[in-house]
Amino acid sequence: MPTVQALIQGHAGASIPGWGLGNLKSIWLKRISAAVVAAILCGCGGSQVSLQDPSIPEPLIDQLQMSVAARYPVAFDHFVHEEQVIGKEKWTIDLGKSNRLLFTQLFGSMFTDFMVIEESSNAQDLPIDALIEPSIDAFEFSVPNQSQTDEFAVWIRYRIKIFDSEGIQVANWPIAAYGKSQTTTFGSDEALRRAAVLAMRDAAALIILQMDKSTGISKLRDASARRNSEPPAVIPNDESMQWTAAEDIPDDSG
Amino acid sequence: MMKACSGPLRRTFQMIPVEKIRRPYHHLFLSAVVILAGTTLSACVTSRVEHIKESTTGIAEGEAIVIMAKSYHLGNETEAKFIRCVGDSMGRGREGLRVIPNQEFVDALFPWFEPRTAPAETKGLPALMSRPGVAETIKDKGVRYVVWLDGDTDKTAGGGSMSCAVGPGGGGCFGFAWWQNDSEYEATVWDLDGLEDAGTVSADVSGTSFLPAIVVPVPLIARTQAKACKGLADQLRLFIVADEEV
Repeated sequence: MPTVQALIQGHAGASIPGWGLGNLKSIWLKRISAAVVAAILCGCGGSQVSLQDPSIPEPLIDQLQMSVAARYPVAFDHFVHEEQVIGKEKWTIDLGKSNRLLFTQLFGSMFTDFMVIEESSNAQDLPIDALIEPSIDAFEFSVPNQSQTDEFAVWIRYRIKIFDSEGIQVANWPIAAYGKSQTTTFGSDEALRRAAVLAMRDAAALIILQMDKSTGISKLRDASARRNSEPPAVIPNDESMQWTAAEDIPDDSG
Repeated sequence: MMKACSGPLRRTFQMIPVEKIRRPYHHLFLSAVVILAGTTLSACVTSRVEHIKESTTGIAEGEAIVIMAKSYHLGNETEAKFIRCVGDSMGRGREGLRVIPNQEFVDALFPWFEPRTAPAETKGLPALMSRPGVAETIKDKGVRYVVWLDGDTDKTAGGGSMSCAVGPGGGGCFGFAWWQNDSEYEATVWDLDGLEDAGTVSADVSGTSFLPAIVVPVPLIARTQAKACKGLADQLRLFIVADEEV
């Protein structure tokens, strides 16, 4: 590749002053054009969006006086969603550890005593009233090309399973969260990231509002206290405490 | 490639008269004029701003307002930049009101003003205020009014045609295009002092943009959204400040 100096010298003999400089500009123009074309081609290849820390503000709520543990599935540590929009580009959304961070912060605010346990841990050995096991059932999104608007929308369907202190499942609650964000000057990636964060925040708001009503988790504290005070021979009737909440209809009219 | 170009181009260059060498500057000048015209000239817009007052308003020193978008869970599509525009306009100037950024307000009251949880009517305000920490946070921030924005800007019609071409000697466009935009917004004002609906202010602005082109396109844009923003913000300020009888 010729150096800048060589390019100028190579045309110094030309009878037209400034000819070398003109060529130099032309070379740079070509390079810039090539870079622009490459950038456009890369853009057509797909977009990769990653979420790092979707923290939620400290909620204004009364904490539930109970001891709760959460056990996260492996997918919560590195959830990646890939989608090829038909005839368009490929999108990859890496939620990373954001779900773990979100739920840890959320449950930490909701319960007076909260801990996260490993997948291998046996919850029955722990002095807890309830064990929560959240998971992701589905992740969907739409881009402006699909919706014919300038908006990105994200839907996340979580499932929250709740177990009592003896490991018996007492609730199985599916929730659908929705987030929407307009394309901004910061670009499509930022808008999609924002829509995903809003969907997670929507899930957090729904859990705060509806969790006890839909799963009856606060009743486990009383059941646990009763169990501890009763003689060991008495087996509590756990069948009566099984809730399977009806699925929330997502409010995605927008 | 450079070698292949150098011979013929050099000869061509020597034959060009001095006046023509200056032509690129003429193009630049022409482009500057077109850009200036495009930004200064604008098409006409028709605007209607009105309000309905339901209770006596007024704002004391230190009290603030928050501009919010109605929930997208309810189908609202108010643009984020419009909300920013109204907030900025109401807070600007010597008579500007204290406007608290809506994200700051929503975060401070999490989760009670999220799109899913925000009260849809003033009927829900007493219950909201009784929640732990809500009334205290609103009082700490000095928020007296919450303004809920609804509506959006749509392209309602359009037509014409224009074709552009670029060649080695330059480029140009020829044709005529037009489109009509309609900006319809409504602001509902909630008084957090009396926990009541203070009234509504609405702005309906429509305008037709034109884009004639003879070589160079000259855009005559009807800035309906900007006009609606200014009209709504000015009227909202009057609505809130004026301590008039209903």
